[in-house]
Amino acid sequence: MAETGRETPNAGMEVSPSRSGNATDSDSVPGAVWNRKGKMHTFWVRLNAVVFFGFTVLLCLAVLTAFSTYGHGDYGSVQQLNVNKLIQLRRVRDNGQTGYHYDQALFNFDLKADLSPAFDWNIKQLFVFLVVEYESKKNVLSQVVVWDRIIERKEDAVLDLEAEFLDYPLRDPAVELRNKNITLRLVWDHMPLTGTLFMRSDLVNSTILPDQYT
Amino acid sequence: MEEIVQGQLSELKKLWRSPRMLLSQSLNLAMIVFSALMIWKGLMFLTKSESPVVVVLSGSMEPAFQRGDILFLNNQDDPIRVGEIVVFKIKDRDIPIVHRVLEVHQKEDGKVELLTKGDNNRVGDRGLYAPGQLWLNREDILGRAAGTLRYLGMVTIILNDYPMLKYVLVGIMGLFVLTNKES
Repeated sequence: MAETGRETPNAGMEVSPSRSGNATDSDSVPGAVWNRKGKMHTFWVRLNAVVFFGFTVLLCLAVLTAFSTYGHGDYGSVQQLNVNKLIQLRRVRDNGQTGYHYDQALFNFDLKADLSPAFDWNIKQLFVFLVVEYESKKNVLSQVVVWDRIIERKEDAVLDLEAEFLDYPLRDPAVELRNKNITLRLVWDHMPLTGTLFMRSDLVNSTILPDQYT
Repeated sequence: MEEIVQGQLSELKKLWRSPRMLLSQSLNLAMIVFSALMIWKGLMFLTKSESPVVVVLSGSMEPAFQRGDILFLNNQDDPIRVGEIVVFKIKDRDIPIVHRVLEVHQKEDGKVELLTKGDNNRVGDRGLYAPGQLWLNREDILGRAAGTLRYLGMVTIILNDYPMLKYVLVGIMGLFVLTNKES
């Protein structure tokens, strides 16, 4: 089928005179062209070949693109990450869910990070998020995302935030946030145009929350 | 167009007259169908996911994923961590949802409670869960996004929107495999 690739789509009426002699069998279909064996390819066979070949090429290019950034070893770094000020720590009850209590902490934080090295030609966006990690009597590990940002351009990838407020409150279903040692970690998820997703993180910083509700 | 149909019809008649050729071409068709099935089942085995490839249907993860993007999933046993994009199914909802995990609370016995959110949504997914359901568990997760390929899923979406097109296309392809003499 590969030899159909060079023929132009509307070459259907052209019949090569040198080959027409040995190809007059009964399955000749009007609107077809001759191939080397003297048999004919119908329009549909050619369409099928072109579409199939097109998809194969696109798929190969996509795979090559995914592999092309394989050695890109620079992911950016975080220079500063810490809690600036605790604003609230209290026990709350979720209105919609009867009997569901949790501890809620609100704070703002400072962040200095340069994630621009993470960008290469196959990165569509970085999903940057701040995780609070801690353990409690109920849970051996709790991870809560309290802030996130989508970065689509390399120019926006230098973060310098002071007293940035949380996007989501830190809520602990184990109701154990008082006097809790929490760890802050910045993680960024590399989201490619095509290929595999992967995450990197840098610089952890821990803080102990106060032992009294505010 | 008419001539093409005529041509195909005469091919079919010819096939009908020679059972050996019909058998050979039918086997050809069966081979294609079964290899596709084998690849799918093989992927299911390797990824431990009941649907290793999914198509994104909504814009709730934009700009990361758009309608028509393809996601490759795995469902390995290592613990799910925050930031991962997972496909989950809610009881009494037909269509699985692709969202990002924003909270993980892991118990001593390995059980997890997860909360998800779409990147493009303003709030978490609790409103999407079943009434009274506060968390997702591990068994609600059908797969975890490992890779992506763009646009290709539009084919599936169009075929699902116009079921007739699907039958016509599959029929035509089957017919051409049957009557194809090149291979």
